[in-house]
Amino acid sequence: MLLAQILLNGVLLGGLYGLMALGMALVWGVLNIVNLAHGAFVMLGGYCVYFAFAGLGIDPFAALPIAFVAMFALGYVLQRYALNLIVRSAQLNTLLITFGLDVVLTYLAQLAFTADFRTINPSYAGANVTIFELTLPLLRFAAFIAALIFAALLWVMLQRTRLGRAIRATAQNLTAARLYGVDPARLYALTFGLGVGIAGAAGGLYGMVSQVTPYIGATLTAKSFVITIMGGLENPFGIVLAGIVIGVIEALASIYIGPTFTDVISFGLLVLILILRPARSMRTA
Amino acid sequence: MKQRLAVFAAAMIAALSIQPLSSARAADSAKTVTLGASLQLTGGDANLARYFRDGYQIAVDRINERGGVRIGAETYHFALKILDNQSNINLGVQQYAQLVTREKVDFLLGPYSSSHTLSESSVAEKYHVPMVEGGGAATQIFTRGYRYIFGTAPPAEHYFGSTIEMMTKLDPPVHTLALLTADDAFDVAVRAGTKALAERLGIDIVVDEVYPELTPNFTSLLALVKSKSPDAILLGGHEAETLNFMREAKSLDVKGRYLTSLTVGVPSHDFRAALGKDAEGVFGMTPWVISPVMRDRWFGDGQQFEQLFRRRFKYEPDYHVASAVAVIETFAYALEAADTLDREKVRDTIARSDFESIYATIRYQENGQIDIPQIVIQVENGEVVPIFTDHFLSKPNYPVAGWGKRL
Amino acid sequence: MLRWVVPLVCVIALAALPLTGDDVLIQYGIDALLFATLAQAWNILGGFTGYVSFGNSSFYGLGTYGTAIAMAQLHWPFGVGLALGALLAVACAVLFGIPILRLRGHYFAIATLGLSATLAAIIANLDISGKNIGLILPLTRADNAFYEEALLLLIAATATVAWIAKSRFGTALLAIREDEDAALVMGINTTRYKIAALALSAFFTSIAGGIHAYWITFVDPAGAFDLTLNVRMVIMAMFGGPGTVFGPLVGAFVLSTVYDVLASSISTAAALLFGLVIVLAVIFMPRGLWDLAGGFRRDGARYFLQNIRAHRL
Repeated sequence: MLLAQILLNGVLLGGLYGLMALGMALVWGVLNIVNLAHGAFVMLGGYCVYFAFAGLGIDPFAALPIAFVAMFALGYVLQRYALNLIVRSAQLNTLLITFGLDVVLTYLAQLAFTADFRTINPSYAGANVTIFELTLPLLRFAAFIAALIFAALLWVMLQRTRLGRAIRATAQNLTAARLYGVDPARLYALTFGLGVGIAGAAGGLYGMVSQVTPYIGATLTAKSFVITIMGGLENPFGIVLAGIVIGVIEALASIYIGPTFTDVISFGLLVLILILRPARSMRTA
Repeated sequence: MKQRLAVFAAAMIAALSIQPLSSARAADSAKTVTLGASLQLTGGDANLARYFRDGYQIAVDRINERGGVRIGAETYHFALKILDNQSNINLGVQQYAQLVTREKVDFLLGPYSSSHTLSESSVAEKYHVPMVEGGGAATQIFTRGYRYIFGTAPPAEHYFGSTIEMMTKLDPPVHTLALLTADDAFDVAVRAGTKALAERLGIDIVVDEVYPELTPNFTSLLALVKSKSPDAILLGGHEAETLNFMREAKSLDVKGRYLTSLTVGVPSHDFRAALGKDAEGVFGMTPWVISPVMRDRWFGDGQQFEQLFRRRFKYEPDYHVASAVAVIETFAYALEAADTLDREKVRDTIARSDFESIYATIRYQENGQIDIPQIVIQVENGEVVPIFTDHFLSKPNYPVAGWGKRL
Repeated sequence: MLRWVVPLVCVIALAALPLTGDDVLIQYGIDALLFATLAQAWNILGGFTGYVSFGNSSFYGLGTYGTAIAMAQLHWPFGVGLALGALLAVACAVLFGIPILRLRGHYFAIATLGLSATLAAIIANLDISGKNIGLILPLTRADNAFYEEALLLLIAATATVAWIAKSRFGTALLAIREDEDAALVMGINTTRYKIAALALSAFFTSIAGGIHAYWITFVDPAGAFDLTLNVRMVIMAMFGGPGTVFGPLVGAFVLSTVYDVLASSISTAAALLFGLVIVLAVIFMPRGLWDLAGGFRRDGARYFLQNIRAHRL
């Protein structure tokens, strides 16, 4: 049935969206950094997996941790030696600096990798099964499961581990956390690294269902924005849920209103949610 | 306060005085005709604009090697001035204006894509500088009564023309089709022309949807198409979109019952490489195939051209490259025939162009656009096979098998 | 009295620029002047009121399209087109200002961004705006006229900002910037002032958009509502010195020149270097050139280190 297939597509797509937004939400919630370069990190993660697969023959799913680690390292260094320098200046500045970063990263990617389309095409790329007349794309399904797993891991890490508690403490009250012996410089760098690492892994999955070029970042950042605002900064599962909701809404709108209206709906929703949730506006940080 | 104002004034004066320095042109070496273009060397279109950069370059170099062009009693060489508009149309428009006023180029070459050409050609018209372009197929470019724009890309309306004619002659014949097109200038034109022709030939369009440019997600449209089970799927879009479409179509197990055809991608080597085996059996079109038939004053024949190009640039040229070559050759022939650099006279001579190139026989219609037929092609074993023009050139793999099943 | 000599001389020099007959300079001038206006308009809301907008492109786009639709579709004259664009922009500012100005900080910035993206998406679906393909305006070659118009607009915008800096209106805005809750407590109707600031910002931004549209003879959704436009106007205002009268002008002219020189010599790398400039500027001189001029005289090279120390973790 058409409606059921569309819903299924929307849910699966939304899961991947949610995974992508997880990194942005983490960084935003803990460090109060709105990362306009988020999409660029997703893109770089995609390239990591691409080269691991096309160059070294590593299975893309096995390469996801590699992308995670590589991007984590990049994020850690960036936060430690660049972003940490401006954390206490006006919020505007983090927006500007991450924008500048996005421009630089995109340009360097174009220089290093050219604008050629890169597809991560393992033999199982287009595999699907048909259940009750519904076609289930297996790769997207795997990406969806991966999103849930990452969210769960993140939640467990934040709630149950010492590192997680340190991160949450820092998010709530930096001064107090310092008093308890937290080294903010390293912690901030770790958190940013984590966020970027997740973005990188999401990029690898994205490259499997779509393609990687230096320019995919912008739309992905925009998408992640909408989902982060919708899902809130409290809970990783909230983000995944928001991703699914957006995915479903877009899928439905595509057919029942028109494909050219999906952006109107996504961004319109963004503005509406911001306007209608006054509790959020109180958080000026 | 006063000191700051003084500093500010000094900064402004300094800023303004840098300009005249940058506008001074290097002293001209003997006799060049400068051709200027603003291309998408970086940005989303970079992957395709490079065909034009390389096509322009090889043509200019070859013509210069072979003695340049004779205007009057002098021999002139071509020089290229290419700026990067980062795939930003606004920047492109400004750069074309700069090419005319600051760089003082003699003539203009077009960018890739109809969207860019549509607006950037206005600059040529505004300054009365002839522009020949090879990358803009939308008829809208040529229906504005502009006199200074000429195009070697055949009309977008007719892209699916030969494909649809072919569909009526196949066995089993195609009765229903799904038409998916993007919302940019090129694809809007493709849709208009395709709908008109399909209706005239009695083919039923069961799905007719317009999707936003650069959309990364076709899943809903694919589900819709699958539910209608059309005999053929025709997809209008640019490289990124057609690539996305094919991959998502595979993951959702959607294909035209008998055939699937894409406006772009199939003729390009790296497109087929990106799809790998998934490209098997897909139809496309091109106004140009590499063959020994077309002969050319500078390159010999199509095959010699291909070898020369491949040796230098390390990839197989497609019709974009050939189109770019034809653009340069248009200027070469026109300059020699007009025997002057005067822009009005050259414009008139371009309008009367009639010569053979490895791309096609170059003759511009009244409105400035060329009209050459599209050759229907199909991917077989990773290679492109010409199938149909107005008659069958070879037997197609038809009906094309579904995704999971290979014949 | 003497304070006005320098600006006056600059204005006269700028107005006389077209007399040089140098096409290149005039085109650069139009671009720089329009950007200076955008930076100045942003300054009203971002610099004085403290509401950082990342969506002034909404008003720019509305101004652009108002002019384009009026001229290309309805065949009205340029002046009417500008007025239509300004009307649309101010109406949008007031309409959306009321709910959006309730947000603070990041959220306000993102809401404005979202507004711009939504408007772009809507316009890409309307027939009258040419959908995603855009519109082509009547061709005209009148660079000198555009130049003088852009200059006039900049003077108007700067005069407005100068007035704001001296008036009670401006004091109220500054109060809102420094501590909005305290301002509320003191009885200032913050909503009205904020909306007025937004409307003023929208007005000048939209006229700049209209002039640009006619000059370039082309509009499309991507170009009219371009996000990078926002960043450029913000960085120009910030680079020069937000909350001052002349800061944004300095920032705009200096950065325009840098970008222009880069774009014509190494065009491809221009974007990269611009990105680097942004990153370095934010780290080393977050309060802008205007502040740098004063601070450098006072503290020399230690000014930069002080900035970092003040803002680092």
